[in-house]
Amino acid sequence: MTDGTEPDGTRNADRNGSPRERRRGQGELEAQVLAVLGEAPEPVTAAWVQERLGGSLAYTTVITILTRLYDKGAVTRSRVGRSFAWTPVADGAGLVALRMRKLLDREDDRDAVLSSFVSALSPDDERLLRTLLYESEAPGDGPDRGPGR
Amino acid sequence: MGVFVYLPLILPLTALPIARLAEQHLHPRTAARLLTAVAAILATCSTVCLGLLVVVGTAQLPGNPLPDSWSDPEVRAAVPYDEIAGKASIGALALVLLTCAYTLYRHYRYRSRAHRVLAGLGTASEVAVLPDDQPYAYALPGTQGRILVSTGMLAALTDTERHALLAHERAHLAGRHHRLLLAVRLAGCANPLLRPLHRVVGYCTERWADEEAARATGDRRATARAVGKAALVSRKGRGAVFPGLAAFAEPGPVPRRVAALLGPLPPANGWPPALTSAGVAALVAAAGTAASTLSALNAAVGLYVVLEAATFG
Repeated sequence: MTDGTEPDGTRNADRNGSPRERRRGQGELEAQVLAVLGEAPEPVTAAWVQERLGGSLAYTTVITILTRLYDKGAVTRSRVGRSFAWTPVADGAGLVALRMRKLLDREDDRDAVLSSFVSALSPDDERLLRTLLYESEAPGDGPDRGPGR
Repeated sequence: MGVFVYLPLILPLTALPIARLAEQHLHPRTAARLLTAVAAILATCSTVCLGLLVVVGTAQLPGNPLPDSWSDPEVRAAVPYDEIAGKASIGALALVLLTCAYTLYRHYRYRSRAHRVLAGLGTASEVAVLPDDQPYAYALPGTQGRILVSTGMLAALTDTERHALLAHERAHLAGRHHRLLLAVRLAGCANPLLRPLHRVVGYCTERWADEEAARATGDRRATARAVGKAALVSRKGRGAVFPGLAAFAEPGPVPRRVAALLGPLPPANGWPPALTSAGVAALVAAAGTAASTLSALNAAVGLYVVLEAATFG
C-alpha cells in the first residue's frame, strides 16, 4: 500500500504550505489521529475519527493520515462492510519510536550525525569480545584488577 | 610562489602516521583534539592554495571578470604548469565547495529531522527512552542535545551499566564531539588524503566518552561490560558483517574499546616521548602542518606581490 491509494486525500494534504511545513504538519496530525484512536473503546471508522477531531479535517485527509499510519505499522485495520475499522498498534511514544527507527535506517546520514554507543561486530570481534568479557568476570567479584590483565 | 603552491595539496600525507599511532599512544581526548586541529589546518591550507591556483587559472579564461593584467605572462610564470593546473583547480575547488556544502546540508537536515521526531514525545528531558525492542543508543547533538535509547537496550543492561551508557552519551554531548567529527569530515571533503582521519577521530571520541563514563561510574570494568554487552545484543538484530573480510581484519573498534577499559587508565600527559615511533609520527605531523601553513602563506603573499606588480607596475 502506498499513499497513491488515496489520491484525493494525498493531493489535499499536499496543498498546504511548503514541503517543510507540510511535513511538520503531517507529524502533528498523525499524533492527533493516534491520540484519538487511543481513546477509542474498539476499532473505529475514519468518520468516527473525523468527528472526534472536531471536524476540522476533510474526510479524505483523515483517510490519508490513517493510511500513512498503516504504512508505518502504527495502526491496523479490518474491513467492516464497505469501509475499514482502525485500531492503534502503538501509543504516541510508540509512533515516535517507529519514526525514529525509520530515520535510523538511513545509515549514511545516521553515522554522520549520531554517535552510536556501539558499532557493528564481525564474527571474530564477537569471539574476542566474549573472551574479554569472560576474562573480566573470571577473577572474582572482589578485587578491582584481576591477574589476567 | 613557485612550487610552494602545490605543497599544501600533498602535505596532508604527513598526518597519516600519527593518525595510525595516536590511538595507542595518546590519551583519546588529546588524540581527538590534536588530529582534528591538524586536519583542519591542513585542509584550510590545501583549500587556500587551490583558491590561488583558481585565480591564475581563471585569469586565462577568455571573458573572465578579473583584471586583464592578471593573465600577464609574468603572473603565469609564477606558477609551474599553470596551463593544466590552473584549469584543473577550477573544477577541484568547485568540487570541494560543493561536497562541503552538501555534507553540511545533509548533516543539519538529518539532525533537525531527528529533533522533530523526538519532539513528538512531548517531553524536553535530555534522555529520550523509545519503546523499541531493537537495542540502540545514540547521542543526538544540537542546541539541546539529546540521548535516545531504546527500551531494548536498557533491558539488556544492569543499573551500573545503564549509568555507564548514559554517562558515555552525555560525554559526547558535553564534549561537543560532533563538532570535531564534522570538522574532520569537512577536511576529508577538502582534501581526500585527510579522509582516513575521520574514522580515527571517531574512534578516539568513543574512547574519550568511554573514559568519561568510567570516571563517572567509578567502575572501569562495569563500563567495559556495558560496551561489550550492548554490542553483543545489538548484533542479534543485524546480519553478519562481511564474513569474508573479517578473517584478515584487525580487531574492530568495540573489542579494542573493551580491552582498553579493562586495561589501566591511559596516561593524561599530552605529547608522546620524542624517541618512540609515536613521538616521531607526532613530529612529522607537526612539521607537515607547519610546512603546509608556511607554504600556503608563501604562495598567497607571492601571488599577491606578482598580481600587484602586474596591475600597477
